Amino acid sequence: MGPLIPLGIIGSEWDLVIAILIGFAFGFILESSGFSSSRKLAGVFYGYDFVVLKVFFTAAIVAMLGLLYFSYLGWIDINLVFVNPTFIASSIVGGIIMGVGFISGGYCPGTSFCGAAIGKIDAMIFTAGMFIGILVFSEAFPLFESLYNSGNLGSLKITETLGISAPLFVFVVILVAIPLFYIVTRIEKKVKKVNY
Amino acid sequence: MNLKYSLLAAILVILGFVLLILPAKEQLPETNPEVLQYELNEVTHFISTDKVAERIINQDPTLLLIDVRMADDYLNYSLPGAENIPLKEILHPDWDDLLNQTDRDIVFYSNADVYAEQAWMFARRKGYKKLFVMQGGLNNWFATIIQPTEPPETSSTKEIEAYQFRKAAGIYFCGGQAIVSEVNPQDALVITRKNKKTKVEGGC
Repeated sequence: MGPLIPLGIIGSEWDLVIAILIGFAFGFILESSGFSSSRKLAGVFYGYDFVVLKVFFTAAIVAMLGLLYFSYLGWIDINLVFVNPTFIASSIVGGIIMGVGFISGGYCPGTSFCGAAIGKIDAMIFTAGMFIGILVFSEAFPLFESLYNSGNLGSLKITETLGISAPLFVFVVILVAIPLFYIVTRIEKKVKKVNY
Repeated sequence: MNLKYSLLAAILVILGFVLLILPAKEQLPETNPEVLQYELNEVTHFISTDKVAERIINQDPTLLLIDVRMADDYLNYSLPGAENIPLKEILHPDWDDLLNQTDRDIVFYSNADVYAEQAWMFARRKGYKKLFVMQGGLNNWFATIIQPTEPPETSSTKEIEAYQFRKAAGIYFCGGQAIVSEVNPQDALVITRKNKKTKVEGGC
């Protein structure tokens, strides 16, 4: 029966409405996980707070399990789910820029809006910087165009690249994630508490 | 360690493990029934005998003819270059290499439409692409290509051209019958002259 939009069960004119509803939920969860604090976010880089790692790993595992179970029960046709194409060269460059921005600014794009929404001045400056970046990129797009489109590998799936089955991959990720959660929690307890 | 976290971790491991040991769900690359019905109603999967003849004559490399009749019939008569896959064997894995492709147009034919249509349906349901049925089968092939009926003289140019093509194609497939003109050219050019002048008769 799913995915709902590609199969026309929900018309594509609802895209924006659904996006807004998901956006509210996403923002709420980011804020309630404490992601609107740049100190908490940067903690994963400095080794005193690993909530980012825990939240995103958990989200990935829940989504993977959910998709595979839905697919198994025939609730979703997994072949119709959109997979972002991989542009390897621009991904690497973009990843470096994103990483530098994240560590120096203390936010990622989504969380900066959460921070700005609850009145954090650093987050507001971060979002302003982001808009400047968008403007510069858009105006200078012809300069970046060849890089932007380079290294297209198509819609890759990690299970296909590794040649293993999806359930096996999910199980391995779970087996890696749980000891990882345990270890980072131990580290968190050892290091000095940081006041947010 | 917090009991709540241990419980959640255990649930994740169990869910992951169950997923791992669930029997693999067979996902046949089936064509959606609605798509199939649409394709069947829209008769876009038919290809005319004229078109097939034209493509055989032009040695079109993208044409793959599949004779779905029994082997005996195939050996008795078949179209040039056709492969024989009897209808019963159409889903046999041996033929997968031949049928599972996108480079060539696969054209099924039998004596009439029925078996070819069934073959088309099975193959389409299995998810093969670029499948066609030769309209009318070999009966129609004989009626149109091998022994075309001459259209009345009042027919449109298009029909007459189609007839001429069919006639030529028939000669191509059945070997040359030298076209002997019914009129001997020398006879045809006998011109009987009239006397130029008649004798002056009478007068005053």
